[in-house]
Amino acid sequence: MSDQIAPVTSPPTPAARLIRAGWLWSILNSVLSVVIFLALWEGLIRLFDVPVWLVPKPSDFLGRFLVDYPEILRNALATSVTLAAGFGLGVVIAVPLALLMVSIGALERGLYPVIVFLNIMPKTVIGPILIIWFGVSPLVSVLVVFLMCFFPVLVDSMHGFRAVDPRLDYITRSMGATPWQAFRYVRLPASMSHIFAGMRIGIVKAVEGVIIAEFIGSSAGLGFMIMRASSFMNMELLFCGLVAVAIVALIFNALLATSERIMMPWVRPR
Amino acid sequence: MSVGASINARGLTKSYGSGEGAFHALGPIDLDIKPGEFVSLIGPSGCGKSTTMLLVSGLEPPSAGSIAIDGRPLTKPITEIGIVFQDHLLLEFRTAMKNVLLQQEIRGLDRAESRQRAEHLFARLGLVGAEDRYPWQLSGGMRQRVSIARALVHDPSMLLMDEPFGALDAISRTQIRHDLEMLWLETRKTVLFITHSIDEAIGLSDRVFVMSRSPGRIVDEIKIDLPRPRPAHLGEYPDFAAYTKRIYSVFEKLGVYKFD
Ligand SMILES: Nc1ncnc2c1ncn2[C@@H]1O[C@H](COP(=O)(O)OP(=O)(O)OP(=O)(O)O)[C@@H](O)[C@H]1O
Ligand SMILES: [Mg+2]
Repeated sequence: MSDQIAPVTSPPTPAARLIRAGWLWSILNSVLSVVIFLALWEGLIRLFDVPVWLVPKPSDFLGRFLVDYPEILRNALATSVTLAAGFGLGVVIAVPLALLMVSIGALERGLYPVIVFLNIMPKTVIGPILIIWFGVSPLVSVLVVFLMCFFPVLVDSMHGFRAVDPRLDYITRSMGATPWQAFRYVRLPASMSHIFAGMRIGIVKAVEGVIIAEFIGSSAGLGFMIMRASSFMNMELLFCGLVAVAIVALIFNALLATSERIMMPWVRPR
Repeated sequence: MSVGASINARGLTKSYGSGEGAFHALGPIDLDIKPGEFVSLIGPSGCGKSTTMLLVSGLEPPSAGSIAIDGRPLTKPITEIGIVFQDHLLLEFRTAMKNVLLQQEIRGLDRAESRQRAEHLFARLGLVGAEDRYPWQLSGGMRQRVSIARALVHDPSMLLMDEPFGALDAISRTQIRHDLEMLWLETRKTVLFITHSIDEAIGLSDRVFVMSRSPGRIVDEIKIDLPRPRPAHLGEYPDFAAYTKRIYSVFEKLGVYKFD
């Protein structure tokens, strides 16, 4: 019993892992590719001499960031709050519901067809109905975001809970675990990678949803700002809006990836 | 707590599935294991050894027959128990130490004390240095030893071990066999030990139950009268050869072995 255990690169602390596994790296990487992309854009527009009112150059609209940053920031913040609220609500409701449906066969048989139907239906068509119910308010956007991310999270969580090796029950049962303990210590962590997969799809859908919702039913947010810029033919501000949306999406993706790394430190690094 | 429990089973039978597709996997068998006794179950692959373990632990219901633990009929999983499953069933999202300490967390045992016991077991099982590794960072033999530590850390009164040394090399096997014997001599838990190894069965047990091919039944019961602790090389005892021969001849009679 004296075989040597090779010193593994000792399991890094979550913080160390975070940095190594890529926060800084991925940010640096994406900044670099964005810069290259913008440079190409600038070069091509200059080469073909495209007028500003048709397609602005980065040098035209990036300057607007400096001038209009209070407005852009305010709207970006509004969009982020809506996103966070809708997405948070989606996850908090979808994950427990997934567990319930997987655990109670009757519930799954009853609800699943409804969910499949709602999932196929384009969620944005609900926007106008929501406006009638709630008026032009941030609530409409929150609800659209909620609907957009709810289904992917629900479906993947159900998948995850179902994929847990049923024999792991043997372990918890022979330890006398309560149902809550079995969930908390085994089923939840065992399905975590599926839940995160659902959330990754969900966040993409949520960003899509929040902008469309703000187009139609909001008086704040980047979607609203873009719509207004469009009606004033303000090309520069419009493109600033596009870039800001991309940045918000990137930040939410990065936050999700980071929390995934922190919450699932056991995942084999690729 | 660590006083062994008695196990008594009557007419234990298990069929998997139902109706046309039902598969008769085990029995009927009777088992009588005294408190503190070390009993091995040996038999050909697929004869129902793992099934027997699941029934005795209360994790699967029998199709017929009954089991009593310490005289009380078994109706739900026993918790005063340590189980080593055939494919160790470690939680991939917990480190080796955390897998073992799951016992402490779920049972609400004293943390410091359990931690100390776990460390002691890790030292005993040659796992020092592996505490913070995840199962995918461990070798097959190490995983198996972690699952042995998990089965022992809470000092249960009963141990069920399903081929616990199957993934170990011959040298480690002999050592860990001795370690288990010493541990058992200290604490006298009731042990039901499943193995394919005749040496292991004779080297560890008070009694060996020999099972027939599927659907398994107990066809022979051999009392092993060898002094303890038993040496690494059992060949020293003339009786050992006799016990071995008896098990082989049972298997030959059953057609498990065909030597011309
Ligand atoms: N969950 C199950 N469903 C259906 N059949 C099963 C199930 N578990 C086991 N069996 C069948 O029951 C029989 C006994 O299985 P068991 O695992 O108890 O054998 P075993 O003696 O432990 O074999 P081994 O030595 O190979 O581990 C086998 O034929 C197996 O195919
Ligand atoms: Mg087996």
